[in-house]
Amino acid sequence: MTAPKSSREGMASLRVERALRLLPDLEALTPLRALLVATSRADAGAQWASSGPYLTLGKRAVEPAQLRRQVDGVLEQITEHLSALYHAYIDALEALSVGDTAPAVAALLRAGRSEEGPGRWSQARVWYEVALKLADELQDRRPEIEILGALGRLARTQGHFQQGARYFQRCLALAEAEFDQSGVAEACAGLGSLAAAQGQWGGARSWYKRGLTAAQAARDLKRTGHLYHRLASVDHHEGDDVAALEHLQEARRSVESIQDAEGLARVLAAQGDVESEQGHADSAALSYREGLAWARRGSAPAVECAILIRLAEFHMKGDRFHEAEEELRRAEQTAIAHSLSRRLVQVYTLMGRLRGRQKDETGFVFFEQAIELCRVTERAPSAEGRLYREYGNFRSILGSPDEARAYLEKARAIFESLGETGELEGVEADLEKIGG
Amino acid sequence: MPTAAKAPPIPGLSESPSAIRVLGVGLDGALMHAIRPWAAELQAQIEFVTDLPQAVRRLAAGRWDVVLTVLGEHPDEDLHWWANALRGRTGAPRLIAFAHRPSMGLALRAEQLGTHDLLALPVRREELMRSLRRVGRGTSEIAVPLESTANEDLGRYALVGQSPAMLDVYKLIARVAPSTATVLIQGESGTGKEVVARAIHANGPKASGPFVALNCAAIPENLLESELFGHEKGAFSGAVARKIGRFELAKDGTLFLDEIADMTLPLQAKILRAVQEREIERVGGGDPIPIDVRLIAASNRELRDAIQQGRFREDLYYRLAVVIVRLPRLSERGADLALLAAYFARQFASQYGKHITGFSDRTLELLTAHRWVGNVRELRNAIEQAVIVADGGTILVEHLPDEIRGHEGSLAGTLSGELATLAEAEARHIARVLAHTGGQIGAAATILGIHRNTLTRKIREYGL
Repeated sequence: MTAPKSSREGMASLRVERALRLLPDLEALTPLRALLVATSRADAGAQWASSGPYLTLGKRAVEPAQLRRQVDGVLEQITEHLSALYHAYIDALEALSVGDTAPAVAALLRAGRSEEGPGRWSQARVWYEVALKLADELQDRRPEIEILGALGRLARTQGHFQQGARYFQRCLALAEAEFDQSGVAEACAGLGSLAAAQGQWGGARSWYKRGLTAAQAARDLKRTGHLYHRLASVDHHEGDDVAALEHLQEARRSVESIQDAEGLARVLAAQGDVESEQGHADSAALSYREGLAWARRGSAPAVECAILIRLAEFHMKGDRFHEAEEELRRAEQTAIAHSLSRRLVQVYTLMGRLRGRQKDETGFVFFEQAIELCRVTERAPSAEGRLYREYGNFRSILGSPDEARAYLEKARAIFESLGETGELEGVEADLEKIGG
Repeated sequence: MPTAAKAPPIPGLSESPSAIRVLGVGLDGALMHAIRPWAAELQAQIEFVTDLPQAVRRLAAGRWDVVLTVLGEHPDEDLHWWANALRGRTGAPRLIAFAHRPSMGLALRAEQLGTHDLLALPVRREELMRSLRRVGRGTSEIAVPLESTANEDLGRYALVGQSPAMLDVYKLIARVAPSTATVLIQGESGTGKEVVARAIHANGPKASGPFVALNCAAIPENLLESELFGHEKGAFSGAVARKIGRFELAKDGTLFLDEIADMTLPLQAKILRAVQEREIERVGGGDPIPIDVRLIAASNRELRDAIQQGRFREDLYYRLAVVIVRLPRLSERGADLALLAAYFARQFASQYGKHITGFSDRTLELLTAHRWVGNVRELRNAIEQAVIVADGGTILVEHLPDEIRGHEGSLAGTLSGELATLAEAEARHIARVLAHTGGQIGAAATILGIHRNTLTRKIREYGL
C-alpha cells in the first residue's frame, strides 16, 4: 500500500457527522460549522452505493484541504461582519456624544439588520431591543415603528407568538398615530400571520385586508403584493380557490410592476399550490418551474429551496415518488450550499415522509438527521413540532405505535406551547388514530 | 436473439431530417446577431428570450431540440439549474452552454451533467455549427424488440443474466446456500449484493425465517449500535421507547449487514462478540439475549485493504469471510446488459402502466457505450427514468437521462440524417456485438444466433 493512497482514502472517509463531533459547540465557531457543511460533498462512490438513497448531511465527506482553502474567505466575512457591528456601535456613540439620538438609533438598527440577514435572530433581537430603548427618546416615531416591526417579525420566526403580537400591536398603534401607512401595513401583515399560525383564519383575513388598504394608500407595491399573496393563502385554506387565484393575480401585478423577482417567485409558488389542489397538474408544474426561474433570476436561494420543497410535495401527492425524491435532493443541495439549515430540516422531514409512504424503515435516518440539525442550529419550534409530528406518523405507518406516540406527544407539547391551534388539532387527530 | 429489422416508423420520431428548433436564452445582442445567420445556414429555427422565466414558459409551450445559454458568475450552479430545468421536457432539449473562461473543472461538471456542449466565448462559428449538427435531430432510430428474460425475482431486483461471470456466481450460491455458513459478498456498488444475499437466504435452511437487512453506511454512527442490538426505553436521550434490534428481528432467519466496512472499530468488536457467543445485549439493558441467525455481510470496498489501514478488525473478517462471493461489474457481464435493460423496461412499464415493446437501436448503442460506474443500479435507474418519459412503445435516445445521452455525439453515425437501411442497421448491430465480445467472432456469432462463417462473411461485406 502506498502512502498517497492511504492519505487519499483517509480524507475520503472523514464524514460530516464525525467532523461536527470534533467541533466544540461554541458561538464563535458557528461560521466554521456553516463552512464545514457548505463545503461537504457526497462521495463520488456514494451515489450508486446501496446507502446512496439514504445519504444525509452527516454522511457527506469533508475535505480538510478544501476547508483550509476557503477558511480565509470566511474569516474575511467575519471580520467584515464584526467591523460593521463595531462601527455601528461607534457611530451610535459618536452621535450620542453630540446629543444626536436619531443617527444613533439608525446605527443600532443597522447593526440589528446585519445580524438578522444571516439568520442570527437572537443577536439581532438584542440590537433591536437596545435601539428600541433609545428610540423612545426621539420625537420622530418612525424608527420606533420600524424596530417594533422587526422585533415582531423575529418573535414570530422564533415561535414567540404572544410576544410577537405585543410588538406588532405597539407598532400598529404608533404607525396609526403617525399616519405611517407603510408601518400600518407591516404591523397588520405581522398580526395576520400570527393569527393564521394560530388557526384564526377569519382574524388573519381581517388583518390582511386592513394592511392591504394601508399599503395601497402608501403606494407600497411590495407590501401590497405581499398582502394580496397572504389573502390568497387564507382563501386557499378556506377552500375558495377562485378567490385565491384572483388575489394571486393581483399580487403578481404588484410585484411585477416593481420587478420584484423574489416576490414573483413566491406568488408563482403559491399559484402552483392552488392549481395543484384544483387538480391542474400541468399548470401547477409550470407555475412552480416559472417560480424557480424567477427565484434564480432574483438570486434568492432560500425561495428556490422553498419552491423545490413544494414541488416535491406536489409530486408526492400524485404518488410520483421518483420525481419527489429528485426535487428533494435538489433542495438539499441548495440548502447545503447556502447554509439554509431550517430548509434542510424541512427537506429531511419530507424525505422521511417519502420513505414512510414507501414503507421503507431505513427512512428514519432522515428524521434523525433533521433532529440533529435542530439541535445545532437556531431554534425554530414550529419546524421542530412538524418534524416530530411527521416522525410520529412515520413510526405509526411502520408499525411502531409506542415510538409513534412518543414523537407525537413531543409535537403536541411544542404546538401547545406555541399556541398553534391548527397544527395541534392535527397532532391530536394523529394520536387518536393510534389510540393515544 | 433480436435482429435489427426494418421497422415501421416509431411514433414520436421524426422520419425526415426536419429543422432543429433552438431556443437562445439570455444572449446579448451581438451574440444573437452572430448566431442567427449560422442557424439559418443549418436551416435551424431559432428564437431568443431574454431571461429564465420566459425560457421556462417557451420550453413548456412546445418541442425544442437545443437551448443555447451563457453561463453567469456561478457557471457550475447554472449548469445544474439547466440540467434540472430541461429534464423531462418534451423532446428533452440538449444544452449548449457558453462560458467566459471554461475551466477543466467546469468541463468535467458539464460532462457529468450530460451537457451537450460547453463552448468558450467568444463563440466561434465552426464550433457552434459542429455542436448543433451533433444534436442529431432527424437521426433515424430503429426499434429492436425487448429480449426475453428468464429470471429469479427477489424483491425489487432479480437475478438476471447468462454471462459466464454470473454463471460462476450462481454455482457458488447453489453450493453455499444449503449450509448456514457466514458469507461475505464483495463487489462494486450496484452489482447486486443484496440480491445475492436474498438468493442465499431463499435457498438456505433458514428460508422460512425473516430476511432482515441493515445498511451500516446509511445509519448515523451514534445510532448504529441501537439499530443492531436494540435499546431499552430511556437508554439515551432519543430512546423514547424500547426498541428491538435487527439481530433479534432476524431470529431464525438471516441478517444481512450491507456496507459493513463503514462500521466503527468498537462496534466491530461488539459484532464479533455477537457472532462468537451467539448472544447480544440491548443498549441500556443488562441481560444477554441468545440469537440464532445466519449472518451475511457485504462490502463494496476491499476489506483486506481496510484491515491493512487499521480500519477493519482482522478477526471479524475471518469470522465473516467463511465463504466469499465476488460479484462482477456490469461491464464484465457482456450481453447481460441487454437482458437486464429488457427486464427493467418490463418491470417499470408494468409499474407505470406503460406498454414498452423495445428499445431503439441507437438507445441500445448508447447503453452499451456508457461507463456504468453504478453498475446494475445505475442501469435500473436509467431505464426507470426512460420508461417514465417514454410516450410510445419504444424507448428512444431522447428518453434516456442526459448523463447517458452525453455520449450521443461520440457515436459513429450520429450525423446521419436519414433512416438507416436494413443493411446499415445490421452492420451497426454486428459492430455493437463485436465490441461486447472484444472482437471474438465465435462469441459474437453465438449472441447473434448465426453461424460464425456467416458472421465472418458479413464482417467482410460491411468492412467492419
